[in-house]
Amino acid sequence: MLAVKVSTVLGSKTAALNVKLAQALSSGSKGSVINNQELKFDADSATYFLDSFPENFDVGKYTFVFEILLDESAQEKLYITEAQTKIPIAATGAISIENAEIAVLDGDVGSVESQKKLDLTKDGAVSLSANHLQKLRLSYQLNTPLGHVFKPHQAFLKLKHESQVEHIFLVKTSGKKSELVLDFLGLVEKLYYLSGKYEIQLTIGDASMENSLLSNIGHIELDLPERPEKAAQPPVQPTDPYSRYGPKAEISHIFRVPEKLPAKQLSLVFLGLIVLPFIAFLIGLTRLGVNIKSFPSSVGAATSALLFHGGIGAVLNIKALSLLGVFLSFVGHSTLSHLASASNKLKSA
Amino acid sequence: MMNLSRSVALISLFLLPLLSFSFSVDNPTDRRVLVLLDDLSLKSSHSIFFSTLKSRGFDLDFKLADDSKLALQRYGQYLYDGLIVFAPSTERFGGSLDSKSIADFVDSGRDLILSADTSASDLIRGIALECGVDFDEDSSAMVIDHSSFSVSDGDHTLIAADDLVKSDAILGKTKIEAPVLFRGVAHSLNPTNNLVLKVLSASPSAYSANPSSKLSSPPQLTGSAISLVSVMQARNNARVVISGSLQLFSDRLFRSGVQKAGSPNKYEKSGNEQFATELSKWVFHERGHLKAGSLVHHRVGETDEPAIYRIKDDLEFSVEILEWSGKSWEPYVADDVQVQFYMMSPYVLKTLSTDKKGMFHTSFKVPDVYGVFQFKVEYGKLGYTTLSLSKQIPVRPYRHNEYERFIPTAYPYYGACFTTMAGFFVFSFVYLYHK
Repeated sequence: MLAVKVSTVLGSKTAALNVKLAQALSSGSKGSVINNQELKFDADSATYFLDSFPENFDVGKYTFVFEILLDESAQEKLYITEAQTKIPIAATGAISIENAEIAVLDGDVGSVESQKKLDLTKDGAVSLSANHLQKLRLSYQLNTPLGHVFKPHQAFLKLKHESQVEHIFLVKTSGKKSELVLDFLGLVEKLYYLSGKYEIQLTIGDASMENSLLSNIGHIELDLPERPEKAAQPPVQPTDPYSRYGPKAEISHIFRVPEKLPAKQLSLVFLGLIVLPFIAFLIGLTRLGVNIKSFPSSVGAATSALLFHGGIGAVLNIKALSLLGVFLSFVGHSTLSHLASASNKLKSA
Repeated sequence: MMNLSRSVALISLFLLPLLSFSFSVDNPTDRRVLVLLDDLSLKSSHSIFFSTLKSRGFDLDFKLADDSKLALQRYGQYLYDGLIVFAPSTERFGGSLDSKSIADFVDSGRDLILSADTSASDLIRGIALECGVDFDEDSSAMVIDHSSFSVSDGDHTLIAADDLVKSDAILGKTKIEAPVLFRGVAHSLNPTNNLVLKVLSASPSAYSANPSSKLSSPPQLTGSAISLVSVMQARNNARVVISGSLQLFSDRLFRSGVQKAGSPNKYEKSGNEQFATELSKWVFHERGHLKAGSLVHHRVGETDEPAIYRIKDDLEFSVEILEWSGKSWEPYVADDVQVQFYMMSPYVLKTLSTDKKGMFHTSFKVPDVYGVFQFKVEYGKLGYTTLSLSKQIPVRPYRHNEYERFIPTAYPYYGACFTTMAGFFVFSFVYLYHK
């Protein structure tokens, strides 16, 4: 139902008027569907209405042209701003979709290799495969509620590759049906030679269509030839913003493992083995009956002897080596010469 | 870079008393905002948006876009902290403004809100291109969506969009329930640009075309690749919002109810006011702005920072991060701040644990590699300013007296040495005095 409200410039109610829908010009056709239809006045809601439209009023975009005439009974001085008021109106309705099917055609001959019927009101799970010598055909019929062919503003077939590269094709309507034929031989370069799984999505929409749809029809495995070196690279796809930021994997340093050393016990065992010969030496000496009888008894000589041996011990400690070396040579000389003279005395005596 | 610009602002605080209000390191929210309009009636048709900005303390300066006295800088100092350009049809700005001076404005760390509408002039497109946003080349094209439109619109150009970015920093903690109404041009983002981000995206059935003429070739922009409102945060943390619709900010769409086609939910009020308010809080640094104190590190058990570490030292590291709440600095709470111990590549990367009072700390062992290392904190989170801090510290090997003193494995060798000495000593006695 069409309801029109007329008011004065300041918005208050007007006197009795005659409101007429002079024309309803369709954007497509040339003539007017409605001519000089007078609108009835409803006093309760103060609107002028038209409650039924003629039978050939189809969906689509129209421009309604209203004419307002003063009733003859009007007394006051009233002025109408415009003789004809044009208002764009979209008449919407549910468009029926019939005979939707998708098929893979073979080469030039056009024989159908595989064909599937589609229900575009919901997502499908069609699975097709094609190589670059074949063609893909999508066809359907769109009809208005009155049975006329409908040409929607938006009729896209989108092929989306696994790597997110997308391609869009328009489905053209001619005659009674809408059809799109994709000849892969000619499209190989446009598709960037990307073989693999493509998802098929069909979007049909229009301002006057109440049931615009987006249907994920299914997917198609395309087998395209190898990319030659000079062909264009597929465009860079944007990175997911949520994965751009985020903590990185933790790294902990692996320290250099020190060389594997033998167990402590093993070292102690070998220590024992090393000390063993020394102990054996001492035992051997006592067995041989060594003694230190000829230790000099006179004080001077004894002191030198003690110092001599002390010096040897100190040298073995590797401390103050150079000074000790000098000291030792003096003391050593004196002790050893004393010993030599003692043994000489013994020999001569 | 950010520090330099902020310190320039601080200096201007002292040198020019006229510019007594400006953002600074301690108070990062913008103060003075220049609003460029191509029609002064926008002041009243978008009054709710401007009055919410004023009530939050912003100092708005309304000027016509072709006003011949327009200037962003005077004597080398910036007069404004933020810029709102609601002039989609302006071909040339007046005064000393042009797309280069606006680019320099953003380069100095200042913020920008730019909006196109059903028509976008080349000047506006050029500014948007600098920020990584490509508006549709067709100047008569608008965003059309036959599945996601507001039922009150017959043309399907008034989009009811609800594909919002998931970020509490950009859009606030409260979820925007009602769809956001949008009527304007589409734009896409440069895919190689890491700094731009879609805040409001179109639905998969949207496309950008002229609604009153038939399509002869497939449109350039379709589906979710169309961004309706995008943001960019530059490396110096300047924030830019680019919207394809000026009507999105208008009082009419703020107040209108919305029902998305195909959905039974009818909302009394569209999400536009909440969306625009939250976005303005983000872009003018009232939210999502972080500040870090200096990095503190020391050996375990000590408190002073050493000049050099030795390999295999145990050290403790901490950093303080604060978040600006709009009025004061609050401790920042997060569990994904990480520190790297870095020399050419990270040797150690650890997640810092927080005491919820703003201090983030961890401890680890210095690797056994010598060299000059850096403690690096590089923190980036969606919607937050990026933190990039580093501190250099050398690491030395063991000194000669820091090795093990006596090695058990060498005991046999020690034994061999000492028994030889002892044997000689005994022998020296025995040989000389044996009789």
